[in-house]
Amino acid sequence: MKSPEKSTEKTPTTNEPFAFSAANLETYKELLTRYDDVESALLPVLHLAQEQTGWLAENVITYISNLMSIPEIKIKEVISFYDMFYDVPVGRNIVQVCTNISCSMFGGREIYQGLLKHFDTGYLTPTRDGRISLQKMECLGACELAPCMRVNDDFVAITDLTSAIHKLEELP
Amino acid sequence: MKNTANNKDYALLSYHHIPGVHNIDIFERAGGYETMKECFNKEPEAIKEEVKLSGLRGRGGAGFATGVKWGFFTKDRNAKKYLLCNADESEPGTFKDRYLVEKNPHILIEGMIISAWALATQKGYIYIRGEFYQQAMILERAIKEAYAKGYLGKNILGKGFDFDLYVHRGAGAYICGEETGMISSLEGKKGQPKLKPPFPAIKGYRGLPTMVNNVESLAAIPWIMRHGAAAYKQWGTEKSPGTKLFSISGDVNKPGVIEVPLSTSLKDIIEIHCGGMRNGNKLKAVIPGGSSAPIFNAEDSYIVKMDYEDVAAKGSMLGSGAIIVLDETRNMGDVLKWTLEFYHHESCGQCTPCREGTGWLESVFKRREKGQAHKSDIDLLDKTASSMRGQTICALADAAAMPTQGMIKVFREELETYVSASTKK
Ligand SMILES: Cc1cc2nc3c(=O)[nH]c(=O)nc-3n(C[C@H](O)[C@H](O)[C@H](O)COP(=O)(O)O)c2cc1C
Ligand code: SF4
Ligand code: FES
Repeated sequence: MKSPEKSTEKTPTTNEPFAFSAANLETYKELLTRYDDVESALLPVLHLAQEQTGWLAENVITYISNLMSIPEIKIKEVISFYDMFYDVPVGRNIVQVCTNISCSMFGGREIYQGLLKHFDTGYLTPTRDGRISLQKMECLGACELAPCMRVNDDFVAITDLTSAIHKLEELP
Repeated sequence: MKNTANNKDYALLSYHHIPGVHNIDIFERAGGYETMKECFNKEPEAIKEEVKLSGLRGRGGAGFATGVKWGFFTKDRNAKKYLLCNADESEPGTFKDRYLVEKNPHILIEGMIISAWALATQKGYIYIRGEFYQQAMILERAIKEAYAKGYLGKNILGKGFDFDLYVHRGAGAYICGEETGMISSLEGKKGQPKLKPPFPAIKGYRGLPTMVNNVESLAAIPWIMRHGAAAYKQWGTEKSPGTKLFSISGDVNKPGVIEVPLSTSLKDIIEIHCGGMRNGNKLKAVIPGGSSAPIFNAEDSYIVKMDYEDVAAKGSMLGSGAIIVLDETRNMGDVLKWTLEFYHHESCGQCTPCREGTGWLESVFKRREKGQAHKSDIDLLDKTASSMRGQTICALADAAAMPTQGMIKVFREELETYVSASTKK
């Protein structure tokens, strides 16, 4: 379930209507063929939308709701259940820091707190330059790398706060 | 004993030393998919029987015999049903399934095709945790390759059998590893578990029969069918036959994934396969089967054999095979605190004893941070944990209660000091 820590800075939702790009609309159609009902495609469709826009704003939810004929309220419930669906604006890069047992043994918690401080931000709140959102996570399934971090789609092994900062400073 | 980790003579990692084996041609040159082809000439019931004889036990955590579970599945070959591979792998300390599929996705796909033929499932899904993005892509590519060869899709190898296989990505929720939570999630809902019975094998995804098996269980099928149940039983014990993947993390020199026969001693795993303790420190304790497994002190850690019965006899469980090694510098209060924060965060909130209980457990450590915890809080932890057991829809509540009570049993004094050291008088 989603962390109780909430991002504080909610920027107003854009009023521009959202739509899948032509390529993503094709992907959407292909996704539907994988399942025996439309609802089952909801998670992959939310992933797809998030890949296009970064986070799942009201306008995105409205679009998906119309597209799939699933009530908005149901989609919102689903989004809020999963840690990797974002209902707040996030930075260009998502950085997940593991704070579970094996990683905490090697400073995972101090690294997470240190990064928040270094980038002067909070849970998921984008840095002022919009570059990074930090997210505290449970075991990421890569404990041999402890302390372990995920940057966007990849696992990254770090040794300490300094090496973590160094890695993140390289991000576009 | 020599270091036999990743030995190519074993079953699951037998292809891992081959460069590029994620590519279907390389996999096939090494003998991959041969067993699948042979299996299509076998009676489905004969395959089920062989798996049952092998004694393979589900590798997702509960260790229920795979062949027996398959026996509960409908034999009506035309009835619509699903094969669901559990690749959610979220139990803290576990990373074996990831290691297996990221290098060798085809061993899982071959295992799933054989299983699908035996069980007559027309569709399969690999539910993989959202964090394993690259691994999902590796599986997607491998599935595409298998389709291109005619091993998936309609009328596979001209046998009149159809099987479609897809990857389905989760989105960050531990509870989706529980099979009914996974089914809810696959249905496009919150990943909330459902009451059992009915079991998924009877009424699962979309209300239809669904066989849920862990990655490692399914990946063991090709080896078993190729070499036979008897050969599989050369390893392990009567009740724990075969080999098992273990993922080891914490205070060892070489953390990682190994494949060893079940019943290998934990001492050998630490000292031989993992290169011994980090910095030459002394061993203090081991969590032998993922965060929900009760902890062992050093003494038990050094005598336990890693099979289902011996780990259970010593008061813990083999679980997913996630071994977390802790040395003398570790404080057990920290370990319990991290564990309980996890379960509170991951409770799906449906059952009061779980939602409230995990909160209560964690709150002792929150009070400690304010200097408001007392020695007696350890008794409170014990009582709360005990009241959570066997009361809920799924086993998450038990998974939080067991390590709590286990930790208190072994390290009570240390925990009492931990919570009360900073207590404001
Ligand atoms: C809280 C909870 C979490 C679980 N997480 C996983 C998991 O990550 N992977 C897994 O294979 N099984 C997990 N299981 C076990 C599954 O419910 C199910 O028993 C298993 O996937 C069946 O496959 P097997 O028989 O091959 O082990 C979990 C169970 C519970 C209660
Ligand atoms: S035991 Fe906990 S996680 Fe399982 S269904 Fe109940 S509230 Fe949800
Ligand atoms: S504990 Fe950090 S990845 Fe498992």
